[in-house]
Amino acid sequence: MASADKLINTDVPEKDVFALHFLQSLSNLKTQNPLNSPAKSIDRVRKIKKAAYVSMARAAGGTSRLWSRALLRRAAKDDNKSVRFSRRKRKVTWKISSKRRKSNNQRAPVVEEAAERLRNLVPGGGGMETSKLMEETAHYIKCLSMQVKVMQCLVDGLSQK
Amino acid sequence: MDLTGGFGARSGGVGPCREAIGLESLHLGDEFRQLVTTLPPENASGSFTALLELPPTQAVELLHFTDSSSSQAAVTGIGGEIAPPLHSLGGTLAFPSNSVLMERAARFSVIATEQQNGNISGETPTSSVPSNSSANLDIVKTEPAETDSSQRLISDSAIENQIPCPSQNNRNGKRKDFEKKGKSSTKKNKSSEENEKLPYVHVRARRGQATDSHSLAERARREKINARMKLLQELVPGCDKIQGTALVLDEIINHVQSLQRQVEMLSMRLAAVNPRIDFNLDTILASENGSLMDGSFNGTPMQLAWPHQAIETEQSFHHRQLPPPPTQQWPFDGLNQPVWGREEDQADGNDNSNLMAVSENVMVASANLHPNQVKMEL
Repeated sequence: MASADKLINTDVPEKDVFALHFLQSLSNLKTQNPLNSPAKSIDRVRKIKKAAYVSMARAAGGTSRLWSRALLRRAAKDDNKSVRFSRRKRKVTWKISSKRRKSNNQRAPVVEEAAERLRNLVPGGGGMETSKLMEETAHYIKCLSMQVKVMQCLVDGLSQK
Repeated sequence: MDLTGGFGARSGGVGPCREAIGLESLHLGDEFRQLVTTLPPENASGSFTALLELPPTQAVELLHFTDSSSSQAAVTGIGGEIAPPLHSLGGTLAFPSNSVLMERAARFSVIATEQQNGNISGETPTSSVPSNSSANLDIVKTEPAETDSSQRLISDSAIENQIPCPSQNNRNGKRKDFEKKGKSSTKKNKSSEENEKLPYVHVRARRGQATDSHSLAERARREKINARMKLLQELVPGCDKIQGTALVLDEIINHVQSLQRQVEMLSMRLAAVNPRIDFNLDTILASENGSLMDGSFNGTPMQLAWPHQAIETEQSFHHRQLPPPPTQQWPFDGLNQPVWGREEDQADGNDNSNLMAVSENVMVASANLHPNQVKMEL
């Protein structure tokens, strides 16, 4: 399995990259929509969450990963201002999904049922083969934990004083 | 019975004839075919009486030193010889002639089938000679192809040997075309031949495993998935002890869900804290590196992202070292620290303690990863 492990590349950039991107997207959030009224707190939470995900996707290498690409695409669907995206790549990943899923369901029902749930969790997982899904999930978990650390630090620092 | 015996003897005569020709025409397949088709079997039996009069063991030993294929031909011929007594015994497998021969024949499974062919030809005398010869021809037909391929390999190693053979001449013409095209085409040809022979070299089937291509591909896919699963198991804490793919996947799913929930919760807490922070962050970050957002869409955005005085140092970095991905990260990190430092300075100017906390906190976050750099700064 050592040779197979070499092929799987799940390197994640340093924590600073995540922090910088997150702070920037937070600031970008403010310039886009300078609403400070507490009445829209739910909207605010949603936007911060989205900023967190988008900044994570950018820090993780932009469109080089499937999940980050899907995340950015989803964000771009919400508002076309924040993310610019080439249209050609949109169609590629989604077409495979239905055929693959059918063929995979015949194989191992338990594993594929779990993999199906994982596909719903990982952004862009619908069009992935199972092994690719695992790889992307590994990278996604790494990035998510990194992002969680950054946000935790930020929240701790803000709530300390 | 007399008729069948005569045919059997005739086939027995043809056998050695074929074996003798097979010796000469291992690499001259077409000529051999012509000989077999043109020569009537009676003449052949007359012309090879010298070989026939030898005891069969000696004849086999004479012929055996050359090749396995020639010995194939030899034993088929002897199989033809054996055929009539077999037929007279009613098809029972009792070979009267020689035990040594039997051992020789038993070594080659192909020969055993050929012997059975000889038996059948002995039983059905009208079709005996043509069927036997055609079966034998099939074997010998395969041989020129092998020699051709081997000779083509030799020609790939740039040895020009011209063997006077009609089929070989045709091949020579083709080969010159190949050599005009260049080595890449010949390599491709070779690899394609190897692929036709052995489609799945890298996947080995253990004992008791299926070997058709679908199950081999399926096994390769499962191994790939298992490798990824192992990787995921290392990532998710407390997942090492769990046995079973489905349970491990469940744990992974739970982990991802918990992480996503954490992000949501943290964003809620971030939204709950003083909204002024965002505003101040906005001003600072916009003043420091406003151009970063434009460059961050690419995979390597950092070169574009820096203020102009930083670009020069980074370029010097790239000139000194070859730029693999980690070295692109390191100048970024090294330059990142002054940015935070400046942010801190400006925070002092803004007399905003919250921002102080933020920037300090990010400093702490980075200090977890780069204690050396923080030491340098201190």
